[in-house]
Amino acid sequence: MGTKDTIYEGLFNYGITRRDFMKFCTTMSATLALSSTSIPKIAEALQQKKKPYAVWLHFQECTGDTESLLRATKPSIAQIVLDIISLEYHETIMAGSGHSAEKALHDVVKNQKGKYFALVEGSIPTKDGGIYCVIAGKTAVEIAKEVCGNALVTINVGSCSCWGGIGSAKPNPTGATGTASVVPGIKYINLPGCPANAENITATIVHYLTFGTLPALDRYNRPLFAYGKRIHDNCERRPHFDAGQFVRKWGDEGHRLGWCLYEMGCKGPMAYQNCPTVKWNDGISYPIQSGHPCFACASNDSWDVFGPIYNRAPHVPGASYQATADKIGAAVVAGTAAAVATHAVIRTFLGYKQKERFSKEKNEADKMK
Amino acid sequence: MPKIVVDPITRIEGHLRIEAIIEGGKIADAWSSGTMWRGIENIVKGRDPREVWLFVSRICGV
Repeated sequence: MGTKDTIYEGLFNYGITRRDFMKFCTTMSATLALSSTSIPKIAEALQQKKKPYAVWLHFQECTGDTESLLRATKPSIAQIVLDIISLEYHETIMAGSGHSAEKALHDVVKNQKGKYFALVEGSIPTKDGGIYCVIAGKTAVEIAKEVCGNALVTINVGSCSCWGGIGSAKPNPTGATGTASVVPGIKYINLPGCPANAENITATIVHYLTFGTLPALDRYNRPLFAYGKRIHDNCERRPHFDAGQFVRKWGDEGHRLGWCLYEMGCKGPMAYQNCPTVKWNDGISYPIQSGHPCFACASNDSWDVFGPIYNRAPHVPGASYQATADKIGAAVVAGTAAAVATHAVIRTFLGYKQKERFSKEKNEADKMK
Repeated sequence: MPKIVVDPITRIEGHLRIEAIIEGGKIADAWSSGTMWRGIENIVKGRDPREVWLFVSRICGV
């Protein structure tokens, strides 16, 4: 599979230095949770492998996943992504329109059958004959069957193409669903998120190019390197959860101090993704860090199962101490009350002692008169 | 009357189809259609108003 140039040659022509390339390989190795011994393997694979063909399909989407990919910069990942693959069809960024765009897509499907990556963004409507998403006169169902059905592997980018996402939120007006349920039997990987994280997209492709296989997957076909841990596990506000320090109201003292957002509806304890470590916008921040609860965007049916977003989740599964936040909160309140009571006792006692001392001193003074 | 159809229109967010009728080298009539619909207006009906911004912001992610 692949074009004339190797990936490294492509990157070199693009002005990526050897140093940047090795930094990229290191980042990829870290994102994939591999040991440092795999860095040379990744570098070697990317230097020898030809750029694989890829097409990016848009169905019922908002282009947020494309934006996520194009806005990434570490180190120039957008350039690298666009250069480690030969992206033959991508409606948002391709020059051709209409017939010429369609020709580019069909050329890949015909000439590279079984050898190209199909990246899919957006859900596929199945109601009313699939008329709610039609491109060049073909329904999304027809396009997915043709393009994903003939691909080497389908990469579902974002929650919509994984299982329907926002389009499938109740009452699911268009019968929106994910790629795998429309084209059963395909080899696919889910990279959910709203949007999906660009580093995870790139790391998945790099893993395939280096090892020739998809990374280890969970039961939702999500790669474990990115979705193996809960947001809660690596959340920088976790010590506040453990200490029972919760934001109770937007803008309260706890919110200003960066306390835990669990009481404000944070679904971090149920959400699986690597946001706290990989972060967004070149590793600057992610929702919880900026003071907003996580709403489990990478979970199936997050809009209905985990909503309403600002309602507190009923309990935290898998907490090591098996206690709910309320219990912890109550314990803290009780502790505080006990401390206040103790303090009062001490004060009273001291007051008594003080009075005693004063009266003694007064007696002494009286005697001296 | 020759008719031109450009579908998909690329370098935009969403799905757009343009049809144009040409008469004497000039466009006499034209139609544009958005060819994708999710019904987000219907999805947000009856939901907690505080969370609706999260839904409607996903109409366009650009």
